[in-house]
Amino acid sequence: MTAIDETDKTILNRIQSDFPITQRPYQAVAEELRLDEEDVIHRIRRLKELGIIRRIGGNFVPGKLGFVSTLCAGRVPEKKIDGFAAVVNDYRGVTHNYVRDNIYNVWFTMIAPSMEEIKQNLAQIAEQTGVPDIINLPATRVYKIKAQFNLE
Amino acid sequence: MPNDLEKKIIAALQGDIPVTPRPYREIAETAGVDEETVISVVKDLYQRGVIRRFGATLRHQKSGFNANAMVAWQVAEALIDDVGEQIAAYDAVTHCYRRDPAPQWPYNLYTMVHASDEDECREIARKISDDIGLSDYTMLFSRRELKKTSMQYFDNEFD
Repeated sequence: MTAIDETDKTILNRIQSDFPITQRPYQAVAEELRLDEEDVIHRIRRLKELGIIRRIGGNFVPGKLGFVSTLCAGRVPEKKIDGFAAVVNDYRGVTHNYVRDNIYNVWFTMIAPSMEEIKQNLAQIAEQTGVPDIINLPATRVYKIKAQFNLE
Repeated sequence: MPNDLEKKIIAALQGDIPVTPRPYREIAETAGVDEETVISVVKDLYQRGVIRRFGATLRHQKSGFNANAMVAWQVAEALIDDVGEQIAAYDAVTHCYRRDPAPQWPYNLYTMVHASDEDECREIARKISDDIGLSDYTMLFSRRELKKTSMQYFDNEFD
């Protein structure tokens, strides 16, 4: 890890969840950590410039916004991976897509207003790419979603 | 379903909120409402669990968590809640879900494991396997990122 100090780590550990919902949230963070607002803002801007912070915002529960989500995997011949990815990534509901080392080698998540629409999208992807074997693995129970990575 | 004001605010929050002294005031200006309204709607969305997590998302590779693996487990359905809770308790496990298996893909429990390198991911999976007595699992390391973004739920409705 380059160029981040203990204060940066303390800030990163504080702002990954429960970001303050008050008029001056960075001031609230600063007060908690006994820093000043200007310093906190300056450091967070720098952490974004360094690419350590991807974004600051809300992460929503799809079901509470009237959406469903699923994990899908395609069995894609090596030569077709880029073309397959281009078609899949075109769907705005596809938020994560990775090549993984398995016979099912392209794994992506898809969010849409209904499972019906997801099934239609998958059928369309299969037809457009000539990759017929795409599995659809909707989550039925969530045991854990952790998104806090403590930096020590 | 969220109302129109909530949708506007969700559209702002699902992006990147400003790193300025009064970020909610800036969001308010964009949404055409006042700062107090934005703050109370955000609080409400958060308290109702519509917002699962509110804060900074890090790039793991740049923050020292260099490797991650998806581990898919085959678990007897009768035991799955117990096993799911047990696996969820491991610190290195960041996500744990039950998913419907597919005919040609029997795995029904999915975990994401984050560690400093791939060997450590393998070690963690082996430990979980030994501790809980689960022998049927497969590890899927990511070899290439094809897309990684956050869902944009409602922004196109206000273009």
